[in-house]
Amino acid sequence: MSAEAPRVDDHHLAHTDEAAMFERLSRSNLVTTWKWYLGVAVSGAVLLWGLIVFLYMAMVGMGVTGYNRPVFWGLYEASLVFWIGLSHSGTLISAILRLTHATWRAPVLRGAEAMTAFTLMVGGLIPIIHLGRNWRVYYALPYPSSRELWPNMRSPLMWDAMAITTYLIGSLTFLYVGMIPDLALLRDKSAGWRRKFYSALSLGFRGTHAQWRRYHVTSTLFAILIIPVAVSVHSIVSWDFAMAKVPGWHSTIFAPYFVVGAIFSGIAGVVIVMAILRKAFRLESVLTPLHFDNLGKLLCTMTLLWGYFYFTEFLTVWYNRNPEEWEVFSSYAGPYLPLFLTMIVCNFIIPFPMLCLKRVRRSVSLILVPACSIVTGMYAERLLIVIPSLARRNDPFIWANYFPTWVEFSVMAGAAAMFVLLYMLFAKFFPIMAISDIKERLFHTTDRTIGGTTVESIAQVEGEGEAHA
Amino acid sequence: MKHTWAMAIDLDRCTGCGACVVACSAENNVPTVGEVEAGKSRLMQWIRVNRYWEGEFPEAQAIYLPIPCMQCERAPCELVCPVYATYHNEDGLNAMVYNRCIGTRYCANNCPYSVRAFNWYDYKWEKPLDEQLSPDLTVRSRGVMEKCTFCIQRIRRAKETAAEEGREIRDGEVVPACVQTCPPGAMLFGDLADPHSEITRKLKDPRRFRLMEHLGTEPRVVYLKRQKGAGR
Amino acid sequence: MSTVIVGLFEGVETAARGARALQGLSLPAGSVTTISAVPLPDGAVVTDPAPVRFPKIVIAGWFVGAAAGLALTLATYMLYPLVTGGKTIVSVPPTLIITYEVAMLGALLATLFAGGREMGLLRFPPKAIHDPRIHDGKIALCARVEGDEQARLAMDAMKDAGGTDVRPEEGEL
Repeated sequence: MSAEAPRVDDHHLAHTDEAAMFERLSRSNLVTTWKWYLGVAVSGAVLLWGLIVFLYMAMVGMGVTGYNRPVFWGLYEASLVFWIGLSHSGTLISAILRLTHATWRAPVLRGAEAMTAFTLMVGGLIPIIHLGRNWRVYYALPYPSSRELWPNMRSPLMWDAMAITTYLIGSLTFLYVGMIPDLALLRDKSAGWRRKFYSALSLGFRGTHAQWRRYHVTSTLFAILIIPVAVSVHSIVSWDFAMAKVPGWHSTIFAPYFVVGAIFSGIAGVVIVMAILRKAFRLESVLTPLHFDNLGKLLCTMTLLWGYFYFTEFLTVWYNRNPEEWEVFSSYAGPYLPLFLTMIVCNFIIPFPMLCLKRVRRSVSLILVPACSIVTGMYAERLLIVIPSLARRNDPFIWANYFPTWVEFSVMAGAAAMFVLLYMLFAKFFPIMAISDIKERLFHTTDRTIGGTTVESIAQVEGEGEAHA
Repeated sequence: MKHTWAMAIDLDRCTGCGACVVACSAENNVPTVGEVEAGKSRLMQWIRVNRYWEGEFPEAQAIYLPIPCMQCERAPCELVCPVYATYHNEDGLNAMVYNRCIGTRYCANNCPYSVRAFNWYDYKWEKPLDEQLSPDLTVRSRGVMEKCTFCIQRIRRAKETAAEEGREIRDGEVVPACVQTCPPGAMLFGDLADPHSEITRKLKDPRRFRLMEHLGTEPRVVYLKRQKGAGR
Repeated sequence: MSTVIVGLFEGVETAARGARALQGLSLPAGSVTTISAVPLPDGAVVTDPAPVRFPKIVIAGWFVGAAAGLALTLATYMLYPLVTGGKTIVSVPPTLIITYEVAMLGALLATLFAGGREMGLLRFPPKAIHDPRIHDGKIALCARVEGDEQARLAMDAMKDAGGTDVRPEEGEL
């Protein structure tokens, strides 16, 4: 964004025409196009369909899915891992970039944090969807009752429930607290029911000096706390598999491998969401090729890291040829070859060379190719982790393959539609761009002339967001 | 008195007839799922007879391996249930509480023997087949896991009879349906805690082995190895 | 309710000049502050006299959460001593995992509540001093004053420093 050079004798908070900037950044809140209504209608319809099919499955039984003995877990559980993996976007972008004072983060963080919250809501629903008796899900809650039921804390599924709850609450509050100054801004700029709505949500934030200082400390603390939670969540999701006595699942590398894969797909998801937001809400002036370049570099690193992890996991099994595990890996060349090829091609062969090129990273339309390919490849990877291990259990007599039916596809399409719908509603009613953070960044930025060129210079406030005890 | 129920299966005697499967289904209200569902690998049978081929045709020989629930001492299925629907009961049996089950199917995933069966639907017994349902145990609803119990209802009944008569359970008093039916007498059930029981003697056989022993699950079902030689 | 003199300033330097002029009135600590749309570095215009201490509450929240998680697992072991998988009733790794997750939840909630309380959120006084023009890049300098004499002096000081629309307001700062 071009910043008007401030007068030397006074530092204005306003760098440009503030009203115009507000209009530009809040386009999602101010202008409602027919495309938005169409999007809401379509995703709402798909969500409704998914809901109907889910109810059908619950009424008739899990038999309407493609599950069998021994493949008791399949598309649902792979989707669970996929959605929880996508949720690692916001944590990485927001928390890590905040802590490392990466100055380019401001336009990306709100969209990424919202993605975390909504993917988690979708992912957190799947453990309930996949139950044989969904209507008895409260049996897993630890509260004293006349049924004398109590959950088993030794089950990885209980760890999962705890971790997802903590992460969901944490990421929702992280999103919300980060949004309070922008909600206060919207409150002051709006009228009617919107004013009441934002007044209630901004909780009386005004922007006094003391409030800003404490706000910074609070958001820094959230950033510090949410990172270990994010790491633990995906480790625990991996332990749902790694704790089991299942060849191909029982592996020590699973926890870090899942965390890396989660961040990998999460950044790819952020790239896609940012590209859509940029186009839909005309944010070209804020979301510049620089942001896509930086995200592309991160994505390139994660591609290499993922490739390294996958190779390491594969190599140990390949070399050892433990027959139980080797049968699982052999099936990658059999019925699961399409999944395996999709994974390798989409996760490494396409994205790695593309992301090495600056031309790709700096082009918003070109970077969508590796980003979409990675999201596809990671979905294939999740399926490849869950299914073949079960399809090739220890006893060869019961080996059976699995293919989802229309039921699983419908319910998971409904879950995806739920994410899209939540995101669209969020973008309509909440500030999707972190306006205050963008303003703060502009306030810290000056143009500095070095010789014959002018470069951007950013003032770093010493000890920003740190507590003084 | 504490019991250590165990089962011995002599593979030398097993002919693979499948009578144990039929008897078990009749005793335990196990639904028959029909051809289509069986083709989808969704048999509900609590005991299955694995058939492996040895050698090439025409020298091929079938090996039969009946697999009930192994009632593992260190059962992997029990650990992973989030609601304690499966646990170790006072007899050391791997018990399954249908009413607690919420259907995560994690236990079935964690069973190396894949002996757990999941109720994919609410199965129906057409008239007059509903007349043959055993009143000793429930018909399971859709969405719960079930598996071989070593015919726990027969164990309970024997315990009650023994208590009424003020004595210990006699060896051979408890006989699960599969053992009772087995035409060649390949199966034997008894109490390992009783040093004089038939099964204690039988399991001194050097042919004994347990399935997938390397996994450390310590099954209560012990097999006697099939021997090679003429006439076998 | 107290009387607050509010003046709008164009930039940081002019606002700082106004704040320096107000220092001559020797108002009690914490009665001069800015309202701005962008956080200003501490000391740029005013200095926050109160130290930020609430991270300590977060640590306390972590320990409360850890205690709750530990209690939950220990209660499970005591109330439901069911043998599963031939393992001991009390086992350390699951205890650690549950304790960790609940501890982090405690710390996150403590951050939310302590941060919110420290920021003075969720308190809706009948009239809070505010000026929506801060969103156009203005800085509102506010000084809580006692009595007419002080109010007049403060208004003069702000006007001299270049403040516009300097006026007294009744409300909570």
